[in-house]
Amino acid sequence: MEEQFDAIVVGSGISGGWAAMELCRKGLKTIVLERGRQVEHIKDYPTTNLAPWELLHRNRNTNKIKDDQHIQVRGFCNEANSHFFVNDKEHPYVQKKPYDWIRGYHVGGRSLMWGRQCYRWSDLDFEANAKDGHGVDWPIRYKDIAPWYSYVEQFAGISGSKEGLPQLPDGDFLPPMEMNALETHVSESIKQKFTDGRRMIIGRVANLTRGWNGRGPCQYRNLCDRGCPFGGYFSSNSATLPVAASTGNLTLRPHSIVMEVIYDKDKKRAKGVRIIDENTNESIEYFAKIIFLNASTLGSTSILLNSVSDAFPNGMGNSSDQLGRNLMDHHYHVGAGGNFDGLKDKVISGRRPNGIYVARFRNINEKTKRSDYLRGFGYQGGASRGMNWNGDGIGSELKDQMTEPGDWSFWLGSWGEQLPHPDNRVTLSKTEKDKWGLPQLEIDCEWKENEIAMRKDMMNSAAEMLESGGIKDIYTFNDEKAYPGLCIHEMGTARMGKDPKTSVLNEWNQLHEVKNVFNTDGACMTSSACQNPSITYMALTARAADHAVSELKKGNL
Amino acid sequence: MDRRELLKMVALATGGVVIGGDFFLAGCKTKDAEIGGAVFSNNDIVFLNEVAETIIPKTTTAGAKEAEVGKFMTVMVNDCYEEADQKIFHDGMKKLDEACNKMHGHSFMKAEPAHRKELLTSLDKEAKEYMKTKKKEDPNHYFLMMKQLTLLGYFTSKPGLEQNFNYKQVPGKFDGAVPYKKGDKLFA
Repeated sequence: MEEQFDAIVVGSGISGGWAAMELCRKGLKTIVLERGRQVEHIKDYPTTNLAPWELLHRNRNTNKIKDDQHIQVRGFCNEANSHFFVNDKEHPYVQKKPYDWIRGYHVGGRSLMWGRQCYRWSDLDFEANAKDGHGVDWPIRYKDIAPWYSYVEQFAGISGSKEGLPQLPDGDFLPPMEMNALETHVSESIKQKFTDGRRMIIGRVANLTRGWNGRGPCQYRNLCDRGCPFGGYFSSNSATLPVAASTGNLTLRPHSIVMEVIYDKDKKRAKGVRIIDENTNESIEYFAKIIFLNASTLGSTSILLNSVSDAFPNGMGNSSDQLGRNLMDHHYHVGAGGNFDGLKDKVISGRRPNGIYVARFRNINEKTKRSDYLRGFGYQGGASRGMNWNGDGIGSELKDQMTEPGDWSFWLGSWGEQLPHPDNRVTLSKTEKDKWGLPQLEIDCEWKENEIAMRKDMMNSAAEMLESGGIKDIYTFNDEKAYPGLCIHEMGTARMGKDPKTSVLNEWNQLHEVKNVFNTDGACMTSSACQNPSITYMALTARAADHAVSELKKGNL
Repeated sequence: MDRRELLKMVALATGGVVIGGDFFLAGCKTKDAEIGGAVFSNNDIVFLNEVAETIIPKTTTAGAKEAEVGKFMTVMVNDCYEEADQKIFHDGMKKLDEACNKMHGHSFMKAEPAHRKELLTSLDKEAKEYMKTKKKEDPNHYFLMMKQLTLLGYFTSKPGLEQNFNYKQVPGKFDGAVPYKKGDKLFA
């Protein structure tokens, strides 16, 4: 069985949805191959309207979930969203060092359960490798991606405040969400007491603060990871895939595990992909002029590593031996928290699906340069005030105490940059296979010296900022068992670069060696910065799709 | 309040970690419903409802019994607790009854409300004292389990949320600085 399309998109998550929409809107007959099942917007969100008491285990993980999804539960898989995370028994991989690979195999991928925080990168990030010599230089700069950030923000709908911070460029935002009373207080204190320009701002988030492109607005339920019946946040399912389908150019095929990209050595182009049907094990080939790999960082790299031919014995486009190397994540589970003795006459109403953000303030200029580590980190967190759980004893006194508000509390967690390192890598196992006969991925990744040194400052600076805001009973934390992968910001392994000898992709996200194969998910990232990466994947995808179609029209692909 | 926070707070209120909580993660293998033949009977559910009602009694708002916390406890112990904790919980029901016999000369079910409260107040103190010196590998205290499950079950139940709080499934808006005076119902 053979089928011909203009374009193939592998994967339907946050970047695959964008690739599909952009290519379909530009008139290309496009097939999206998704390895998992169909998830239709609203219809396939079975838990979205359940009240707390309608969940049998009140959203606690059962032993069955803890067993079947023993890696997924290390993230935030729970009773209400576990159907959006893989069964770890069915999707094994080899951990040469501890690595939490947290995934959702279905239409929409992790765009359904993502954290939705959206921060532009700046030239501080795009120039970082060139300046300190770790990794290779990015082939692009902020000016190359800035218009594409605007383009994707205007479609997705990102709420946020304009702050004029050079290290965290402002975007085209919907109105910001509100800080609560204690966040406002602490934010003001930080502004006054620190001279290094650090700012605590409201999170920039892909939740809609007003109706936008037929979606939303957000209803402040904070149940986003179940799928939103109001379309209150951006996902492939609610936003990009419906637009792609509306063009009439989209074919979506779930249950399609892409095994390899097929290479035409005469034309030096890829001609298609070979899939195995998840359920029937049938092998099918699809052909197209261009191929976008958006199967997630490790998914896309696995496919390329498995695309072996005489021309590419070590994986497609891998003459540089960089494919699989420089795996990165953000390191987190480090920070501080405490309580506040004040604002007793204020409480909160509504469940805001967002917190505060502290933009990077270390190593951003000469004045803020550190001697103990390179690069930097940001903070997310927030203040809350709920029931008084300090209630003591038994009976009606306990009940009365508990239904009154407790003290305000504040929590600050830090997200840090990981340096690219060639030894942090993935390879295909020579012995272990999955149930479809495909080689399992072997992951060999660890935090190195720079990350470990940075964490001390991440923890202490959190405490220091909270202290400046009058927070009491401050506790700090630095979870040494927060292994790579846990932050679910995996990046790298097919990095962009200027030189085909040291990188896999060029400045347009094309394989240097196979120009009609594009990769625009996390695999393409040359460094990790410390901001949540999804909005950058979206912008790179829209930019690459535009380039692909333009090249196609010129007859260059 | 989101679930993560709720769990953290349940731990706080009961002086320790949440038994069977998210912190006990990797690869526990528990048989689904039975623990060495021990299953919960209807009488157990009635008993647990009375324990829960003593911890969170009916006042101007519903108590734990009306929120069916007894049944909830059995579901959680069966489906979410590790095997060792399941056994502690089952044995704990007997221990609670024995403690009642010792203190009041008859079983918990026959005890009047004031005696029940006196008993559970002393067990609450006993569990708290135990937690102060408990090492990680030491067994959990059964009364801590019962209190945690009561608070979790009640404050996520329909009557628990709707009668004690200004509960809104779909808030529609956010206000981070709502004026509050004692007696106002908290948003939940």
